[in-house]
Amino acid sequence: MSRGEQRPQDFLGGLAAAARGMGVVIKQVFRPDVTERYPQQIDEPPPRSHIGRHLLNRYENGLEKCIGCELCAYACPADAIWVEGADNDPENPVSPGERHAKDYQINYLRCIMCGLCVEACPTRALTMTHAYEMAFTSREDAIFTKEQLLEPPLPLGTAPGTQEG
Amino acid sequence: MTQEAVTLTIDGKEVTVPKGTLIIRAAEQLGIEIPRFCDHPLLEPAGACRQCYVEVEGQAKLFTSCTATVAPGMAVRTQNSSEVVHEAQVANLEFLLLNHPLDCPICDRGGECPLQDQALAFGPGESRYVEAKRTFEKPIPLSPLVGLDRERCVLCARCTRFCDQISGDRFIELFARGAGERVSIAAGEDFLSPFSGNTIQICPVGALTATPYRFVARPFDLSSVDTVCPHCSAGCNVKLDVRRGKVVRHLARDNLDVNDAWLCDKGRFAFRFPDDERRVTIPLLRDRGLEPTSFGEVMDAIGDWSRGKRVAFLTGGRLADEDAYALSKVARTAFVTNDLDHRREFAGGEAERLAAVAVTDRALSVTYRDVERAKAIVVAGLDAEQEVPILHLRLRKAARRGARIFVLNPRRTRLWDVAEHVLCRPGQEAHVLEQIVDGEGGDSGVGRAADALREAGEAGVVLAGMRLAEHPLAADVALRAARRTGARFSLVPRRAGDKGALAAGVHPRLLPGGRRVDDPGERAEVEAVWGELKNVVPGRNAKQILEAAANREIDVLFLVGVDPLRDFPDARLARHALENVPYKVVQSLELGSLEPFADAFLPAAAFPERDAHFTTWEGRAQRIRPVRGPAGLSRPDWEIFAGLARAMGGSLGFESLEDLQEESVGLLSPRAFSGGASAWVGAGAPQWIDELTLFTYPLLVDEGRLSEGASELKAALEEKPFLEIHPVDADKRSIADGGEVRVRTQAGQAVVPVRVTPDIAEGSVFVPFNQPGLAANTLLSGRFTAGATVEAVAAAEAAADPERLTVGGGP
Repeated sequence: MSRGEQRPQDFLGGLAAAARGMGVVIKQVFRPDVTERYPQQIDEPPPRSHIGRHLLNRYENGLEKCIGCELCAYACPADAIWVEGADNDPENPVSPGERHAKDYQINYLRCIMCGLCVEACPTRALTMTHAYEMAFTSREDAIFTKEQLLEPPLPLGTAPGTQEG
Repeated sequence: MTQEAVTLTIDGKEVTVPKGTLIIRAAEQLGIEIPRFCDHPLLEPAGACRQCYVEVEGQAKLFTSCTATVAPGMAVRTQNSSEVVHEAQVANLEFLLLNHPLDCPICDRGGECPLQDQALAFGPGESRYVEAKRTFEKPIPLSPLVGLDRERCVLCARCTRFCDQISGDRFIELFARGAGERVSIAAGEDFLSPFSGNTIQICPVGALTATPYRFVARPFDLSSVDTVCPHCSAGCNVKLDVRRGKVVRHLARDNLDVNDAWLCDKGRFAFRFPDDERRVTIPLLRDRGLEPTSFGEVMDAIGDWSRGKRVAFLTGGRLADEDAYALSKVARTAFVTNDLDHRREFAGGEAERLAAVAVTDRALSVTYRDVERAKAIVVAGLDAEQEVPILHLRLRKAARRGARIFVLNPRRTRLWDVAEHVLCRPGQEAHVLEQIVDGEGGDSGVGRAADALREAGEAGVVLAGMRLAEHPLAADVALRAARRTGARFSLVPRRAGDKGALAAGVHPRLLPGGRRVDDPGERAEVEAVWGELKNVVPGRNAKQILEAAANREIDVLFLVGVDPLRDFPDARLARHALENVPYKVVQSLELGSLEPFADAFLPAAAFPERDAHFTTWEGRAQRIRPVRGPAGLSRPDWEIFAGLARAMGGSLGFESLEDLQEESVGLLSPRAFSGGASAWVGAGAPQWIDELTLFTYPLLVDEGRLSEGASELKAALEEKPFLEIHPVDADKRSIADGGEVRVRTQAGQAVVPVRVTPDIAEGSVFVPFNQPGLAANTLLSGRFTAGATVEAVAAAEAAADPERLTVGGGP
């Protein structure tokens, strides 16, 4: 059979195939959309997710749970955590007991979000949050200080770098 | 004498050990690990922790292997082969952990804790104890250096046994019995032993912790290097721990040939000087003020100033061996001068030359082992605890092994309980030693020392401290006493670099290897390596250099790791000298009080930043290793000297440390001492024209440069200035203990608190050399002794006196 010559049944079969194909397309058009319109529209992650930035917790009386023991730093496979311990002033304690964290830093250029630090923490001082928005414009910004880590994360969509323009 | 051997089996393996060996040591030889807490190889057995249970066949009860000695045919079974032993060890660990708090996350020992390790390896994993744990007040500061946490203590008694058996400073003890037993100290007392830090290191839990290291780091934070302590000539092996480039801790390393497992508190806690904020790490050159510049520029400037000029070098005692060699060479070749000196005391004589020669004659060298095994020891002019602390511990160890020790010193030392002291007025040492040589003295301490030395023969040791160097003959007489009795002899310098500097020839009369500069034969051996020396006339010693400088006979003065204003025993002469030299080059870690005088500053690398050697008082060269790179632009001293040689248009002939070591090894290698006995006319009984003799030496912890930043150490051990006087002398002057006195010498005067004590020779008074508020060198005129008068100061006068605790300028 030479090129250009088509039999009628081939033509009909082709039409049917095209119709089936278009059917898939049309079905997809009316299916619900899975694309998130981030950052114009932000979906909250599930409430117990721990996919983002760390948080240093406090007890209800305001004392820090962190005792500066450095076990998180020891557990960290990426060497992202820096802790310096110090004595608690008995009159004005930062945390219960003898020791507190004088300095606590996490470098998010190194952190791989594995959560081993959270597992290592003997006082549940360190947990992870849902705040996955971590875009930085300098290396310094990527290193979170103790003050930053003690603050609950900003609502999603308000972190720097999430606004358009 | 061969020791009887005993053969036994442990876990079915046969081992043969000397009679009297403990089972735990025999097991170690087989590589079998028995858990233990109280056992320490250098302490007497205690059997306190009960962890090291083993089963001995035929015995009903378990044995503690750290207290039981081996017996022939004994069949020992450890936890490896006996279920009973395993169960007993698990039960004992559970028992030890009953009251042990689970505060490992905040404990300084966490991560390097024998209790943690052994609970993991041998422990039950879980405790059945549910009641409340025993609590104590904590932490209790035993001293500004040592904190005690009684809750963590397992009552192994290592710390108290150390204080009892090793240091002899029995400050701490186990108080009470039963459940209330605890380590404690007499009320109101501080744990003021200069060896207190060792109790922290041997504590098998975190019960004793070091205040300067409290909550500073975790073991995994640290990079470590095995090096040698730079603080004195003892040469203790230390491990230096650094966190992020900052030195945070010194620990003792085990070396049975040097420091056993111990370290003094200065070596342990004075570690902050390389990170001190006053340190300068950039070259400076005086323009309007001292301006930062580059090494090239400052070297060129020094070269321009020095060419063809009269140059002199003064150094401190902290130069490493390689630096001292490079200095000796650069001074003599590039600067053509023999005016260089590292000493502050001016002994000269045969004994010093002998110390400079690395002797091959065994009878004339002393090691720590010789001290340990000696039967009779004479310590002359040396306060070992304050000057070479680890030697002090060795002397105590020798005493425990039965040695008879005699101390010839103007002041009683802390060997008081194990040694017989012969207190003699400074200047009298030579005369007293002469009596030992002649075997006079009868039934006095001197006579007994002479007899003991004679009986000991080869097992006798004579140690001459730097106080003997004050007297032109004393060290030589000590050497003669050793030779006469067959004892071994050593001159014990104080500072880490002293022995190396002497051997390298940082000395006006001596070239490397103790070769005399004016002896053509000996000089030729050096010239074969260095090339011809143009200046063959012996140079000036440190005192003469300063005098010449004050008389404007020196154009360029190099101050290498030394501050004459503080270190030299004549503050006024030092100031005159600095004021009258046109060009002063300071090479050090910092400027300090030399800032107004320095015309050029060369920053030197500190000891944790470089590779080199320090030679101990025994003559043992030990390597120091870098744990970080040189701070800022600083360089090792030998590199600076090599640069100076280039700036002078020459070359030292080595570009690397290896080249330097290769070149120097021939000149510094051991050789026999040639050159017979020095001309010696009897010292004779000294006649004193002065009313009292004031003498001084630096105490262990003072205002020295290397103690900078060690605030806890100073709070614990640094004493306020004081003057010691004998009760007889005090009575004559109606001086009461605890009052204040005015001391006058030719050079100056001072008002200081007084201690009336029989622990000092009659006719002498002591002030420490460099305590806060009293620089004793303002009372001195070039020697560490001076004629003095002392008078009581009425309390009212003292209060009104503006010069209180300070030193006036005039006589």
